[in-house]
Amino acid sequence: MEDEIPSVDDLFPDDDLQPSEPISEELLPIAEQSPQTIVEDDDIESLMALEQASAQPEILPTDAEFMGEKGGVVTGRGRMEAAFGTGDGDETATAQVAQVASDVQTGTIFHQVYRPWRGKLNSRWVRNWAILRYHIYGLFSKGHKPWPVMTKLVLFGVLVASIGDLLMLTVGAATGIEAIERLAGISRGNLYGHVLSFWFRNACTYPIVTALIIGGMISEDRRNGTSALYFSRPINRRDYAAMKFLSVAIILSVVVLFTLSAYYLGAILVGGEGWSYVMDTGLLFLGAFAAGTLLVFTYTSIGLALSSVSSGKFFPAVAFIGLILGTKMVAFLIWALFDSSAIYLISPYDNLAHVGQWMLGLNHTYEHPASWSLVMLITMNAVSLYILSARVSSLEVTRE
Amino acid sequence: MQTIIATENLTKMYGPHVALDEMSLKISSGATALLGPNGAGKSTMIKTLLGLIQLTSGEGEVLGYNIRTEGDNIRQRIGYMPEYDCLTPEMNAIHQVKYCGELTGMNTNIAMQRAHEVLEYVGLRDQRYREISTFSTGMMQATKLACAIIHDPELLICDEPTNGLDTKARGFMLDTLFQVVKQGDRSILMCSHLMDDVEKICDRIVMIHKGKLIAQGKIEDLKAIDREIEIWVWGGASRMEDAMIDAGLKPRRTGRVMRVVRQDETTYDLVLELAAKAKVQIRRMEDYEPSLEDLFLVIMERLGYGVKSSADLLKSQPPTTAIAPLPSQPGGNF
Repeated sequence: MEDEIPSVDDLFPDDDLQPSEPISEELLPIAEQSPQTIVEDDDIESLMALEQASAQPEILPTDAEFMGEKGGVVTGRGRMEAAFGTGDGDETATAQVAQVASDVQTGTIFHQVYRPWRGKLNSRWVRNWAILRYHIYGLFSKGHKPWPVMTKLVLFGVLVASIGDLLMLTVGAATGIEAIERLAGISRGNLYGHVLSFWFRNACTYPIVTALIIGGMISEDRRNGTSALYFSRPINRRDYAAMKFLSVAIILSVVVLFTLSAYYLGAILVGGEGWSYVMDTGLLFLGAFAAGTLLVFTYTSIGLALSSVSSGKFFPAVAFIGLILGTKMVAFLIWALFDSSAIYLISPYDNLAHVGQWMLGLNHTYEHPASWSLVMLITMNAVSLYILSARVSSLEVTRE
Repeated sequence: MQTIIATENLTKMYGPHVALDEMSLKISSGATALLGPNGAGKSTMIKTLLGLIQLTSGEGEVLGYNIRTEGDNIRQRIGYMPEYDCLTPEMNAIHQVKYCGELTGMNTNIAMQRAHEVLEYVGLRDQRYREISTFSTGMMQATKLACAIIHDPELLICDEPTNGLDTKARGFMLDTLFQVVKQGDRSILMCSHLMDDVEKICDRIVMIHKGKLIAQGKIEDLKAIDREIEIWVWGGASRMEDAMIDAGLKPRRTGRVMRVVRQDETTYDLVLELAAKAKVQIRRMEDYEPSLEDLFLVIMERLGYGVKSSADLLKSQPPTTAIAPLPSQPGGNF
């Protein structure tokens, strides 16, 4: 039986090992043309010697120098040619160009490859910083919250207007006119006026800036459904609301507190004042700063509460201005009729102004105690923050 | 196969209303569809899986994390693609996707790099610097998908991913999702009312109704619940139908084509006998290969709903018809 099994050699007859027709030299490429030397089949030693000889470099001139190294092989080829083989067969090569696919339609994805990502995700604070940065950087650069151009322009205008007292002080110092210096210099009245004067800062600039900022702060997340992007990620509602609050507060602080600090610092520098001046006026500045902080906090909480109950940016903006100016107007009219200042407790601005007067040690323009205004202010903030948290809790992930 | 979602007697009540009723689920990695009519509890289920709501009772784990206490960890590993618009219209796609990455905890530079990658993957490479407000519905859906996969989540929850898409865009979206599973080795939980879409992507389904689990398992296994024989009759379809009803076969007839439940091997012989008695020709008789749509309708019919297609049932809450539920109506899993 074993004899019947054909061996491997039996499967390939000797004839198969030979080409059916001899290959003509014309058909072979130039590099593959057979050498002229004829070697006998049985002369293996001479064949190996020939192969070894062909593997050697052609000639090594002893006095040659290549790239600063003596004795290097000089082939006569350029560096690029040696490195990349350019020039070898270039004259006979045919360029391979992309073929036009007749059946390809516009927009077809040819190589859709899902690439995994195994990076590290950062902690809660980095995520919160992302929210904060998104809102604040949006005022200066693209790629963050798209603030309307009008908001940016108004904010810039108000910022310039808010440092008007510093500019006046500088003009007074530069011209040497004492009247201007006295008028714009640091005093209880001027510090109070920078933060809490009704005309024109709290009648025009601060409420308008606040209205523009808070307008779409939360309501647009509700309208666009972007709340789903936040809450389907590891961001809790407390952090979301806190970062929104902080974003508005920081922008308002730049307008109110930064300009107040610039005014006070400018007065020291422009007047060339010393430490005694700082000792005298430092507490006044801190009082004004605290009153300004209270103003920023109150405007932010009321504004965000209004933004959270709406799904557009028009209503919160108008409602905020209406609330600040409207309550002031109503209180003024009722006070004029009944001559009782307690009605001013309904106005957030007047409560702030009253507490501010108390903080700065100014004569009170209201008859009721400042503690009433403080309690009302705390109540207003508490109610606003409650509305804000309740409405943020109602923001949906799956459907709005 | 790894279990990615496991719940035990999950109950969620909103006042007296029961949104989830003792739901016990076990979902393995891969592609799974979450089906059910409007108001069935799908949205509550998704919110539960995302760890966003406090449960009334029961326990559950997603990707090994407790849904009661480890919501943050779950949401870091899940990508969620909502059904409704969730993009800022005034932003560019690239910045929107990058912001989503940052919200998940990615560094800014890495998020930007990854945003380029995923937008290319979803087919928006050349449109990534365009404002989203100028996008078509398909492009918006693709952007939402890019937002969901920027951090390469282990589980992707897609709520109606082909909503509002034309045939071509729908096909592309399904292919893209399919590749996330096959190429990316990721899991998908997909809510859709288009059974064709579900069948294309998913190999398993979870069906819920009125907060209760109706069916879960492999689609192929579930299709075997009620195997039917399809019969093409010629020359007296009504007579044949009457004969079948008399024999207790409960045929479903559309013109000359009828389907009867295959009870056992003898059903074929019985049909032939009935045809001979009714003097009708049977031109074709074969085992019917049910689609997911058929499966869905069979299940809903058992629950007492007379509907003609899944679209009727899923778009609005249907009225219960006079069809009585079968005595063997399952309370939980098939």
